[in-house]
Amino acid sequence: MANLARFSKRAIGNVFALTRHHVLPQPLVAAAERHFATETVKSITPSADRVKWDYRGQRKIIPLGQWLPKVAVDAYVAPNVVLAGQVTVWDGASVWPGCVLRGDLNKISVGFCSNVQERSVLHAAWSSPTGLPADTSIERYVTIGAYSLLRSCTIEPECIIGQHSILMEGSLVETQSILEAGSVVPPGRRIPSGELWAGNPARFVRTLTHEEILEIPKLAIAINDLSKDHFSEFLPYSTVYLEVEKFKKSLGISV
Amino acid sequence: MGTLGRAIYSVGFWIRETGQAIDRLGSRLQGGYYFQEQLSRHRTLMNIFDKAPVVDKDVFVAPSASVIGDVQVGRGSSIWYGCVLRGDVNSIRVGSGTNIQDNSLVHVAKSNLSGKVLPTLIGDNVTVGHSAVIHGCTVEDEAFVGMGAILLDGVVVEKNAMVAAGALVRQNTRIPSGEVWAGNPAKFLRKLTSEEIAFISQSATNYTNLAQVHAAENSKSYEEIEFEKVLRKKFARKDEEYDSMLGVVREIPPELILPDNVLPDKAEKALKK
Repeated sequence: MANLARFSKRAIGNVFALTRHHVLPQPLVAAAERHFATETVKSITPSADRVKWDYRGQRKIIPLGQWLPKVAVDAYVAPNVVLAGQVTVWDGASVWPGCVLRGDLNKISVGFCSNVQERSVLHAAWSSPTGLPADTSIERYVTIGAYSLLRSCTIEPECIIGQHSILMEGSLVETQSILEAGSVVPPGRRIPSGELWAGNPARFVRTLTHEEILEIPKLAIAINDLSKDHFSEFLPYSTVYLEVEKFKKSLGISV
Repeated sequence: MGTLGRAIYSVGFWIRETGQAIDRLGSRLQGGYYFQEQLSRHRTLMNIFDKAPVVDKDVFVAPSASVIGDVQVGRGSSIWYGCVLRGDVNSIRVGSGTNIQDNSLVHVAKSNLSGKVLPTLIGDNVTVGHSAVIHGCTVEDEAFVGMGAILLDGVVVEKNAMVAAGALVRQNTRIPSGEVWAGNPAKFLRKLTSEEIAFISQSATNYTNLAQVHAAENSKSYEEIEFEKVLRKKFARKDEEYDSMLGVVREIPPELILPDNVLPDKAEKALKK
């Protein structure tokens, strides 16, 4: 476990200890050029115990204290997603690779059949400037595009949030509205129902036609279908433990 | 009893071996599309030959972050999930009490169009928001880089300045002290009030405390994780009223209590399920 990683780190450390003296002259030169952070540069005390590589990788579900992230049985959460704290992923939802859902200060919930696409970050601040609850709640049939950043916002049912959009504290996206890609919603803004907003900061573009509104839940359902394909690629329990046992045996550590 | 124990142990062993054999059979049936899981080779702190990251012992570096090359991180700082601090072609210095939030990228430039190449320097108590991209910049102490901001080469963010969320700050821009710059390309928006400036340093402190909780959780060994799972299950349906009616006092085990300084006000127990 951690001993294992420390063992291998120490082996590598011995090799690099010889070359370590090359690293020292550089910080002093850089420190002379800048007025700040010079004290810290010289006073970093690295810990010999810090693991540089953990064979376990990053855990997907990180409980904090009593809070345990809850994932529904048919929700697809990619293996390199980080769910920490109070996070609930409801049925049919999907959280795609690279996301970070950090419910450490407040709750995060991803509603039924919603999807949080690649590399998004969902966080919840402790309190929001508007009176709305400060937890990030994503209701049903919401599509959150890739690379978006959501912080303490409430997204009502059946919305589409475009890719790379940024929703700040206390924003409310009302039902059946679409945010274009790249839009930035400043804190405490409300996107009214049935409208298309875009831009940085987000501004009104036009209202949505009825056909477009009908398409919104269809998109969420289509992505739900797609997530089932991804979900079926993974066995219910990983077989990595076999690799771990082999690894330990090769290093002579008793299994 | 010894022989019975051994018998059960070997039966368990046979069942596992059978299971593994069936797994191998299934893999062979999957043929060319068979996937074999490997151990994670992700290296949190990685050297590029002789450029090694130097990270203080108080720093929380998330396991999924990558700190590569010539990077120094001062005490009390935190590098959150999914960040990449790539000091491969030049150096990165991160001060103390700084937090680099999830999925951010701090990179350095080796050469740029104007020919001036600066290392990336991030001062003390800086908050770098989620998914920010900092490329060859200098961010001075107590600055605030909003989430999703993109700071290009040679940008200097002075002390107590704020880059709003989603801003794109073009090359060699200097963001003066106490101002908020926003938009794409970033322009002056307004001046920061003194409460907002106080808030910046408060938020850096909050993050340092939060980082300790995450650091403790991420460095747990397998036994500790499993033990806490059991504890959590046992305390999942705790009902104060029922317990007091029965005259039973159940205290939350210390492993499940978060430190008091994590949440801004002390009423954290009200939040727990």
